[in-house]
Amino acid sequence: MSQIALLGAVELGLVYALVALGIYLSFRVLDFPDLTVDGSFPLGAAVAATLIVSGHDPWLATALAVIAGAASGVLTAVLAVRFGILHLLASILTMIALYSVTLRVMGRPNVAILTQDTVLTPFYGIGVTDAVARPLAVGIFVVAAALLVAAFLESGVGLAMRATGANPRMARAQGVPTGLMVGAGIAISNGLVALGGALFAQANGFADVTAGVGTIVVGLAAVIVGETVVRTRSILGALIGCVVGSILYRIAVQLALSADAVGLQASDLNLVTAVLVAAALVLPRIRRRRSAGRAAA
Amino acid sequence: MITVRSVEVVFGPGTPLEKRALRGVDLQIPAGEFVTVIGSNGAGKSTLLGVLAGDVPVAGGSVAIDEVDVTAWPTPRRAGLVARVFQDPLAGSCATLTIEENMALAAARGGRRGFGRALDRRRREEFRARLAELGLGLENRLGDRMGLLSGGQRQAVSLLMATLAPSRILLLDEHTAALDPGTAGFVLDLTRRIVAEHGMTALMVTHSMRQALDLGTRTVMLHEGRVALDVAGAERAGMDVPDLLALFARSRGGEQIADDELLAG
Repeated sequence: MSQIALLGAVELGLVYALVALGIYLSFRVLDFPDLTVDGSFPLGAAVAATLIVSGHDPWLATALAVIAGAASGVLTAVLAVRFGILHLLASILTMIALYSVTLRVMGRPNVAILTQDTVLTPFYGIGVTDAVARPLAVGIFVVAAALLVAAFLESGVGLAMRATGANPRMARAQGVPTGLMVGAGIAISNGLVALGGALFAQANGFADVTAGVGTIVVGLAAVIVGETVVRTRSILGALIGCVVGSILYRIAVQLALSADAVGLQASDLNLVTAVLVAAALVLPRIRRRRSAGRAAA
Repeated sequence: MITVRSVEVVFGPGTPLEKRALRGVDLQIPAGEFVTVIGSNGAGKSTLLGVLAGDVPVAGGSVAIDEVDVTAWPTPRRAGLVARVFQDPLAGSCATLTIEENMALAAARGGRRGFGRALDRRRREEFRARLAELGLGLENRLGDRMGLLSGGQRQAVSLLMATLAPSRILLLDEHTAALDPGTAGFVLDLTRRIVAEHGMTALMVTHSMRQALDLGTRTVMLHEGRVALDVAGAERAGMDVPDLLALFARSRGGEQIADDELLAG
């Protein structure tokens, strides 16, 4: 694998680290399997790219992308909590709806950012090659996001949110408005995912309505790889695990695709991801069953 | 002070499984009273506690705590007034959070939760001191996950958590039923101590008539969703389990209690 390819993998890994942080919030903290992310990732990319191309400030564009993502999270949470639709189905409904919304936002299936300034532009002038500058810039966003999320989860409100996911009955008995907590958590989660989409568009120079396919699986892969590699009980440790997991996952995929002997093509990516996530979910279970069997014998 | 007025609860109204769990319960509990609630399975004991906590919606009647009508308040809104310990030791705390995090969660019950750190040195020292009172050695395990504790330890911490924030009433739903006899004894002693120390108005549901008479200042027996017996003061002080059974039989016009569990000492 060339250095450029490695840097590219790290960059993509960092972009999807934001997705992984969001998925950690929904799947792990709130125990709410949220598939909205397949829609909020391209929505974030579309909002940011469209606004940038039409001459708006890239920071404003990125901020509005985050808000759009958070709003889609709120929609899912309202469907699930207020109207009692099964969380998976509620998030799929939002995801499908967002496909149309994203097309409307862009007015066409994809938008290219060619000459306009992006939030990454300041980093291109610091004397390193663009291939280094891009992951560096995205990395700063990721570090800031991880620190903010960690500080939030350690706060009084964050603790209430964690209790909502861990034991909602107990949380309510302790005065936690659990519905509100789910709404806020899923909003933050999708805001992070949309930020990932916005940075993806600005780093790669385009937004595409199909960019969201499989976002959930890639993000979940990052979370699971991270949990395997970084074993910790602290919140910040778990979030660092998400980031490391996302980067490792991208490098592993890059290695698999660049090794000619394996014979994989870029189009095999989704299959590889699905196999990886399935294996990561199944292996601990098999190991547990084995050790349980040994204990019984 | 708790005032329950002609409360009706119906589960699954309009379905073949419709069940009238409470049929017009009236109860007036002055502040500082410790009421034990007994009754056979399905008598409505846990339902009554659920009504007070806000988990179970009422079909009729009203509930007031300290003269404030809370009938329409959902559980989280009542949390500032009501502290609870559940029957299932797993239900009253978060297994995946640490002991200190569970305590911080309970300490903010009924108050405002902010964006500042939930735990700091001062908080930890406070929790450590409170845990030391239990005499279980948990003061050295603040950072352990709640899930690592035994059922008895979890119930003890749950009781402690009930006292971390001021509340008007304490609801105990057979909180020793899932424990072995030795541990149950310890948790009951702790219950007695905590209720006395904090002068709480408490309601304890129990399956054991012995327990119901040994603890508290007043005993209420529910039967088929109604208050069948309500004894306190001198009448209750001299009572033993057979007296209670006889009184119940008389009030029912000779009907015997079929549930063996109720007779268990």
